[in-house]
Amino acid sequence: MAPVLPFLDIVAASKRFGVATVLDGVGIGVARGEFVSLLGPSGCGKTTLLRIIAGLLTPDDGTVRLDGEDITRKPPHRRDIGVVFQNYALFPHLTVSENIAFGLQSRRVDRDEIRKAVAGLLDLVHLTEFADRSVRLLSGGQQQRVAVARALAVKPKLLLFDEPFSALDRKLREVMQIELKRLLREVAATAIFVTHDQDEALTMSDRVAVMNRGAIDQFAEPAAVYHRPATSFALGFVGLSTRLAGTVRDAPSNGEVLVETSIGSVRGAGGFVTGTPVIVGIRPERIRIGTGSGNSAKATLTDVVFQGSKTFLHFAASSGDQFLVETSDPPRIGLEPGSVLDLTWSVEDTLLYPTESTR
Amino acid sequence: MIPPEKLKASQIGLLAVPAVAYLVIFYVLPLTWLLAHSFAGRSGFTFDSYARFFADPFNWRVIGNTLRIASLVTLVCLVVGYPVAVALAQAHGIAQVVLLASIILPLSIGVIVKAFAWQIVLRRDGVVSQALMALGIWDEPQRLLFTETGLVLGAANVFLPFMILPIYSVVKLIDARLSEAAATLGATPAYRFLRITLPLTLPGIVTGVTFVFSLAVSMFVIPSLLIGDRFQTLATLTGRAFLMMRDEQLGSTTAVVLLAFAVTVVIASTWLVRRLGSTE
Amino acid sequence: MTFAERASSITVWVVATAAVVFLLTPLVVTVIASFGSSSVFTLPPAGWSTRWFERLPTTQGLLASVTASIQIAAYSTLISLVLGTLCAIALVRGQFRGREAIATLLVSPLMVPGLVIGVAMLQAFREYGLRDVWASLLFAHVVITLPYVVRTVLAALSLFDFTLIDAARTLGCSYPGALRKVLVPALSPAFLTSGMFAFLASMDNYPISIFFTDAWTKTLPIQMLQYVEERPDPTIAAISTGLILLALIALVISDRLVGLRRLADF
Repeated sequence: MAPVLPFLDIVAASKRFGVATVLDGVGIGVARGEFVSLLGPSGCGKTTLLRIIAGLLTPDDGTVRLDGEDITRKPPHRRDIGVVFQNYALFPHLTVSENIAFGLQSRRVDRDEIRKAVAGLLDLVHLTEFADRSVRLLSGGQQQRVAVARALAVKPKLLLFDEPFSALDRKLREVMQIELKRLLREVAATAIFVTHDQDEALTMSDRVAVMNRGAIDQFAEPAAVYHRPATSFALGFVGLSTRLAGTVRDAPSNGEVLVETSIGSVRGAGGFVTGTPVIVGIRPERIRIGTGSGNSAKATLTDVVFQGSKTFLHFAASSGDQFLVETSDPPRIGLEPGSVLDLTWSVEDTLLYPTESTR
Repeated sequence: MIPPEKLKASQIGLLAVPAVAYLVIFYVLPLTWLLAHSFAGRSGFTFDSYARFFADPFNWRVIGNTLRIASLVTLVCLVVGYPVAVALAQAHGIAQVVLLASIILPLSIGVIVKAFAWQIVLRRDGVVSQALMALGIWDEPQRLLFTETGLVLGAANVFLPFMILPIYSVVKLIDARLSEAAATLGATPAYRFLRITLPLTLPGIVTGVTFVFSLAVSMFVIPSLLIGDRFQTLATLTGRAFLMMRDEQLGSTTAVVLLAFAVTVVIASTWLVRRLGSTE
Repeated sequence: MTFAERASSITVWVVATAAVVFLLTPLVVTVIASFGSSSVFTLPPAGWSTRWFERLPTTQGLLASVTASIQIAAYSTLISLVLGTLCAIALVRGQFRGREAIATLLVSPLMVPGLVIGVAMLQAFREYGLRDVWASLLFAHVVITLPYVVRTVLAALSLFDFTLIDAARTLGCSYPGALRKVLVPALSPAFLTSGMFAFLASMDNYPISIFFTDAWTKTLPIQMLQYVEERPDPTIAAISTGLILLALIALVISDRLVGLRRLADF
């Protein structure tokens, strides 16, 4: 049986602006009904990729296929893809209802049908009382919901979100994230969500695409991206970590290598050749205070940061390297800054990456 | 100088007094007297001069001329000016500089220079005639001077920047994302123009139309040079009444009628702009 | 881009190019005509000559009218800048009723037909007993230049952040000093553009100036129209070319100082 193509299939998409390559042969496949995030810092190409999917930009190379159809050269108004913009882009001269109805009106849908659809959507986003209000008078969160309802009105095959919550404050953002997921589940939509906020991406997505300088470093479930980041960039961008510089000293054939760092020898998994400069990474919640059978180090406690359900302990080794330890159950005694403590973590939690020369 | 915290807000208002007083003396009072004198008869308040004015069919022709030419000029400016304003908003680099310069430079030149140039252009052996003959539209040279067509062309040329600039200032404020959003919702380019761009540029259009229509209604030099004495507008009639016929009564009457038209246009457009702003 | 988008894009640019040609036609024609050798206008000219320019300095009445126009324009612009700025400050910072009405009043001369204002002033100045032509011209021209100043300075002041003056004072400036170092530089583009438009409006004005003219005092537009009526030869084109050149220089200077786009902020 032939392999099933993804619902949204992007192959080798490239885009250059002048001498700068903003997207470098990017490919990604999204399944129907999936919620995928494009996560990365500004300039990584995530918005450019989104605009290419929407049809607002044409790629220099590569193809975009949606539901089996090649839409690479199709103009945006014939793509059946909804977009929620960063600043919402609500039509200022129209009311809430008129904004939501816009897409249906442009398709000459019957007026009664439009009225019913708009009423249903207003109910879905809890904005029924605002139906005839001018969109200019709404708060950020309300405008956000109108923008989503407007995009949903035409029942698009795919929904694109361009950092829709970046203008909202944190509490509102968390509320909106939950609401949006609920909404999307109700309409069984396929969605691609662009954000630079890694918490947002990890919370909402079925899969996360970590983007860096025009390429996708890793495309996997949130847990995989967090626990097994594929590149040192992904390690640094998603979550917190301790990072040490080292060189591979010995590479026995069992898949483990011995790395020489400034705090001593460290064992980790990876197929590296002796002499390769590497970066050693450890997630903070994987380091324990005390001794154990894995890797270890001695370090001086410099700072204790209490954050409610978890506490961060900052350490400095004699070499100057910083260690970050996260614990939800900090020891009662021995936690004065200045005390020298043993730290230990397992070999399988030791992540190794080649030291990147700038790409 | 007294720092602001020591001044009451109402005292700052006193700074407006010199300008307002000046205008009252040299502008408001004269206009009021003009209005008053036009109603003055031998025995007090009277509509006589207006009755005489409106009883004469010649004057109705004059009013018709004035409105007809002004409307045509406004129409031409709107049809030509709107695309130019859009182009200006989209242009960058050299194109933008050229466009801007060719709009602003003529504004800095007097109307007499331009009207005089159009005299040369519209003559029987002028540039327009030669061009149209070269294109095959005309069989023999004709003159556009002293015709309404020539007048409309010349006036539109002078007033075009006053249509372009207000529309441009509104067009460049429109968020580019709005058209993109409309496209992603399925709107064709034509639909986007009709339902998004046009409504949002309407305030600029109203301002431009108001400017041009007011200017066209009151223009004096351009018709004098381009169409001559056989064709009278309210403005040229007023000028003639004062400068040639020495009939100040007639001149005042026509001046007030002209004023009434101008004021009506401005009030109507202000109301319209306000309504456009509050409907949404 | 779809076909429709491409077609409309091309149309817009064709119209824009045609408009540029249209707008520049009178200027180009004038300059060409001023270099023609015959005293009758033919385009293209039969021969080339600069004699119309050479005759300018000795043309009767030209120097006097140019001087008169420049003087009136300069003085009235100056007076308008002072009166207008004070008024704009009052409108932005003051709190009194009728601010909108006053603003409308100050801008209204732009909307009233110049001829009507001229007629009204003619009769009113007679009542006032004002017979001096030069003074009448000055008083009249302030009325028409004031709106340009008020409108532009008002817009600039509305956008100005007055807490900058407070900041300057907390940093050690006196109040007048803060005004000079913070407010004036922020307003200078507005002064420049409004001053330029006001000056040009005054230099170009015909419908009001026509009522205040005598054998000794004539503004340039009046004088030029007289030339057109008395002896229509390329002398007028030569004068016009001079004016075009001046306008061009003024435009370039303004562009260097404030940028062409700011001039377009109508």
